Amino acid sequence: MSDAANYQELARKYGFAPKLESASRLTQLVARQDADVDEIARVINKDPALRDRLLRVANPDAENAVEYTVETVEEALMRNGVGCAMVLAMATPLALALVKTFQTMLSLKLELIDRQKAEPLEGEHLLGTIGFSGKVVGGVFLRMNPASARTIAGTILGLKPEEMNDANEIRDVAGELLNIMTGNFKSNLCDAGLDCRLAPPEVRFSTDLVTLNVPGGGMERLAFRSQNLHLFVDVTANPWNAD
Amino acid sequence: MPIKILSVDDSRTIRMIVGKAFRPYEVQLFEATNGEEGLAAAQREAPDLVILDVTMPVMDGVTMLTKLKENAATKAIPVIMLTAESGRDNVLQIAKIGVRDYLVKPFKEEQLIEKAGRIVALQKKAPVTA
Repeated sequence: MSDAANYQELARKYGFAPKLESASRLTQLVARQDADVDEIARVINKDPALRDRLLRVANPDAENAVEYTVETVEEALMRNGVGCAMVLAMATPLALALVKTFQTMLSLKLELIDRQKAEPLEGEHLLGTIGFSGKVVGGVFLRMNPASARTIAGTILGLKPEEMNDANEIRDVAGELLNIMTGNFKSNLCDAGLDCRLAPPEVRFSTDLVTLNVPGGGMERLAFRSQNLHLFVDVTANPWNAD
Repeated sequence: MPIKILSVDDSRTIRMIVGKAFRPYEVQLFEATNGEEGLAAAQREAPDLVILDVTMPVMDGVTMLTKLKENAATKAIPVIMLTAESGRDNVLQIAKIGVRDYLVKPFKEEQLIEKAGRIVALQKKAPVTA
């Protein structure tokens, strides 16, 4: 039996949730480096959420879809490059993992919202970072205000937010959130042939709101909301690392 | 006699969630924060079940699992992997070394109880009467 068939059998046995086909397919295509734009566009066009995100990135000044000047996936790929689609594809499993984590472990519905319309983060906040290296290099940055961090940590640990006074516990929960998100994300990359290793998460309180783009790579900036919780995730990656 | 379960995870959050999941049951829970500590605890306590993470400092879960299965005294201890990594190569490698089950994070406490309950006979604690 081939590795792929063997894996499918084990995934059924262990009850794994199915992987998102479009993100896996797109990651595989871009990882090949020689895939043509039409092939990539076909995959993106089959996934309305991915298509919408790509068009939004290609029209940074537009307030809404009516104002888009770049209207097709093909145009967006020509203008922004295939690397941009790759970062979008990489961010998709990350976003899904975060949404699923909230649903599963906090019983909260987390919604991906337009970053420009999100309530901006100001002052000191919790910043969690995780770097990855190998065939693809980059990092994932998770930010949230202290109140959101306290509520999330309390809910996961079964405590009230006012009982969450231990900064180490809050940091540990945020680190585990990052681990869960990036573990799923790393699995998707490795399955596409982009082997990489994750560095241990680093979590601290910070006022630094700047995320630097990895050299030669692209960046995807996501915002999430659930009731009064606000989370921001930046992903920067170079999928064609020469090292 | 309570069931002995060893939770090996570098995240205190996960160890706390595992502890919360098994609290209603007659379970004696042991904790370790990396594979090296986990291996020592497995040899010392001879648990009925190990719940094991993959990515950990000092010694990772795959190395601990390998050493556990190489040792005649510990090789029969059933293991459930509890990890966010479900990549093909990782899963194939781990299955080859030998695990009873695999749970991908994020997870619900009920899922963990269900999987553990298939391996060990979990019994609810008797209600405390005044």
